[in-house]
Amino acid sequence: MGALSRLHLWHHGVFLLVLSFVLLPLSFLILGSFSTAHLPTDFSLSTMGWVNYLKVYSDPGTYEVFTNTVIYVTGSVALGITLALSLAWLVERTNMPGKIWVYAGVPMTLAVPGMLQAMAWVLLLSPRIGFLNKILKDLFGPAAPVIDIYTLGGMIFLEGLRLVPTAFLMLVPLMRSMDPALEEAAAVSGARPFSTTRKVTLRLLAPGLVAVMVYQGMTALEVFEIPGILGLPAGIYVFSTKIYAIVRSATFMPVYGQANALAMVYLLIAVVTTYLYTRMISRAERYTVITGKGYRPRPLDLGRWRYPALGIVFLFLFFSIIMPFLVFLYASFLPYLQSPSVAALKGMTLKNYRLLAQYGEVGTALTNTVIMVAVTATATTLLSFFVSLVVVRSKFWGRKLLDQLAFVPHAIPGIVMGIAFFWVFLKLDFLPIYGTIWAISIGFTVNFLSYGTRSMNAAILQVHKELEEAAYVSGARPWRTLWRIFFPLMLPAFVGVWIWVVLHAVRIAGMPLILYEGPKNQVLAILIWNMWDEGYVGAVAAVGTLLMIILLLLTVVVRFAGFRRHAAEGAGA
Amino acid sequence: MIRVEKLHMEYRTDRGEVHAVRGISLDVKQGQFYTLLGPSGCGKTTTLRCVAGLEVPQEGEISIGDDLVFSSRRGISVPPYKRDIGMVFQSYAIWPHMSVFDNVAFPLREAKKRFSRQEVRAKVRQALSLVQLDGLEDRPAPFLSGGQQQRLALARALVKEPRVLLLDEPLSNLDAKLREETRFELRELVKRLAITTLYVTHDQLEALTMSDVVGVMDQGSIIQEAPPREIYQSPRERFVANFIGLSNFLEGRVKKAGQIGEVETSSGSLKCVLPDSVVPGESVVIAIRPEDVTLYADPSAQRENILEGQVEAVIFLGDALECQVAVGSQRIRLKLHPSSTVTRGETIRLELPQPCCRALRG
Repeated sequence: MGALSRLHLWHHGVFLLVLSFVLLPLSFLILGSFSTAHLPTDFSLSTMGWVNYLKVYSDPGTYEVFTNTVIYVTGSVALGITLALSLAWLVERTNMPGKIWVYAGVPMTLAVPGMLQAMAWVLLLSPRIGFLNKILKDLFGPAAPVIDIYTLGGMIFLEGLRLVPTAFLMLVPLMRSMDPALEEAAAVSGARPFSTTRKVTLRLLAPGLVAVMVYQGMTALEVFEIPGILGLPAGIYVFSTKIYAIVRSATFMPVYGQANALAMVYLLIAVVTTYLYTRMISRAERYTVITGKGYRPRPLDLGRWRYPALGIVFLFLFFSIIMPFLVFLYASFLPYLQSPSVAALKGMTLKNYRLLAQYGEVGTALTNTVIMVAVTATATTLLSFFVSLVVVRSKFWGRKLLDQLAFVPHAIPGIVMGIAFFWVFLKLDFLPIYGTIWAISIGFTVNFLSYGTRSMNAAILQVHKELEEAAYVSGARPWRTLWRIFFPLMLPAFVGVWIWVVLHAVRIAGMPLILYEGPKNQVLAILIWNMWDEGYVGAVAAVGTLLMIILLLLTVVVRFAGFRRHAAEGAGA
Repeated sequence: MIRVEKLHMEYRTDRGEVHAVRGISLDVKQGQFYTLLGPSGCGKTTTLRCVAGLEVPQEGEISIGDDLVFSSRRGISVPPYKRDIGMVFQSYAIWPHMSVFDNVAFPLREAKKRFSRQEVRAKVRQALSLVQLDGLEDRPAPFLSGGQQQRLALARALVKEPRVLLLDEPLSNLDAKLREETRFELRELVKRLAITTLYVTHDQLEALTMSDVVGVMDQGSIIQEAPPREIYQSPRERFVANFIGLSNFLEGRVKKAGQIGEVETSSGSLKCVLPDSVVPGESVVIAIRPEDVTLYADPSAQRENILEGQVEAVIFLGDALECQVAVGSQRIRLKLHPSSTVTRGETIRLELPQPCCRALRG
């Protein structure tokens, strides 16, 4: 064992930190669900009971929410997986032209925040103000049918699009690892190409595909922004928005305990699916048909369908990335909302951008966001690194438990985590954290810890143990070894995790909205949410345009760093 | 220079406790080349890593020079970075993010004693020229061949001029031809520097050709410790005779005790070297190397240690002819000159020269 592990003190430190970060909010969440007091601050063990559960689960509205959620999740997963599978199949198994656009473009769609994408579609398809609906009315008169985005269908459509990039990235390697000989065997047995795909390819993919579907289902269940923008105004609730509505109710005295009681179902579903997912993954890995053969099967000839297929790909990219950006860019230069026309183009101004510069809250929110995001990304990266160092390299007794603890937040939706921390910060009021950006930072750090430690585990495993030991026997102390061996060798992993966290922390609105107190801890996502709520569409468009540009650039940097890492590994081998 | 006493090391794996080292003691003299030889899993690498300080044993004492670096009794455990050692790892552990120069300079820059820029430069140059890597200073380390990486690892281990050099299977990742060349170079280099060396390998040829003393290990213990020639010619245990080179084993019972005694086997009585203090009637195993067995051609010369058998298989190896001969219920392998004209099925008489027959306790 390395000399680092001789210092057992810091092992225990890391362990205790993660233990308290994960278990403290969870225990408060569970205790709070039994609290009969209105506010978390009034919580005491003497005011406990089943009232919240009775109230929540006897309300027929809850079952409507349940039905909505099921429809929304299944619908969006079905749409997302179908699209992703088609894209993956087109690039991996056919001779469609322009594949590079898919490989490069599909992951890029991750850069557009869901909240902004939903807003862009509202600007297009809102029954009242949507550009497309207005054009329809101009063409066919006031009786013309409108396409309403404020529906379950609208939510399914958008969330379906949002699920595509991750599902695509998971499905491509799955398809690649499949032994082409199995398909060729079907072909020489007389099966036609499409029946080979149906009877062999899809069957072989099945275990992996189910795992991807469960994973995407969890994502859809957890997402707040899409149902928040599209469902809340129309009163269509799913789990995540219902919990938010209970806590942030404008008309009633909020009943926090009820939110917790509702969150329990959520938590249960999340824990069960995570358990099933990890089991499925291990099974899928057992069934994966991997061979070391270097050759690729001959791609299926699409014939005259080659270009229509590419057209569908471009339609997807247009819907997910180009269109939202263009809508925002356009709206950001308008003095007031109007459908595209020559007059509208002539009347364009920089008013919205100027307004941003003058609007004091924007400056504060921007500063807050930069600090919050930088602190969150740095904290997540460092904490993940040290957790993984203990998990992968030490003989610490609790290293397996630590690994599982760090993975637990993965199963907990951001909104639920937000509520849990809300209780912690309010109840432990001797810590001056509630209402500050540190509250949001801590919440995010814990939430992203699962991703961070997965990446770091893999990255540390890549650093051969003898590289570390060679430094010790060369006379380097543990911290010098960290500095001169680990940090430089793992720099790509550090940068990767850091930017990933930045990309996510800057755009997610759910948890910050729960922990939001006032201008003091307002971040960009909340500012956009609030401005949208209050109808400052022009300002939202201006902020959104700038945010999208920054996120796209960051995504490009990540891709570039990824390529460089591959290049370096190639040279090192 | 390196003294290890009653070392015990156990560790827990997913499959339970492993008792990797069971009470090993060894003493490497100043300037000696000591090799721990054994099959994988015998505890030789664990022992080396304990000396380096990379593993902390449960029991025992280790000292390097006059410094006690580990003692379970006195609660001393000096971390590796405070031990005066140089080490070459099996994977070479060349840091891929550094140049050749920076790799070699690392131990100097991390040393307690501060070296000036010029000193570092001079020492690195000297170390690189020792291993014939002159002129490659600025090359990024990953752009070296396997053999060059191995020499770079050696330069890095030597640059501080440590009191002891620890080598963990440093040749096992080289191809066969390069390994042969490097064996002699390495031995010559450490002898020239007169540095005390502890070497770990599973390759008997490396152990025999390079070492001053070989310790043969099995299941966490040293079974025999002796110079290479003695290890090969007079193995004290069946395991040693079998692990190093090839041996024929003939089971039998002692008929006449003494330094040179007589053993009754199922195929006849053989005169052989007996271990100390065996008594008549004790069961023993006679070990003899295939190359020591000869064809009994001249009946007038000698009457002792002759066995008759039938040739079962003849394999042409290029530089030798290997035969398998059935003698009674036992099988004897022998190596003959390639010009021999033995054929399969032929009945031949074998001579097992008495000095080459060693009886081991069964």
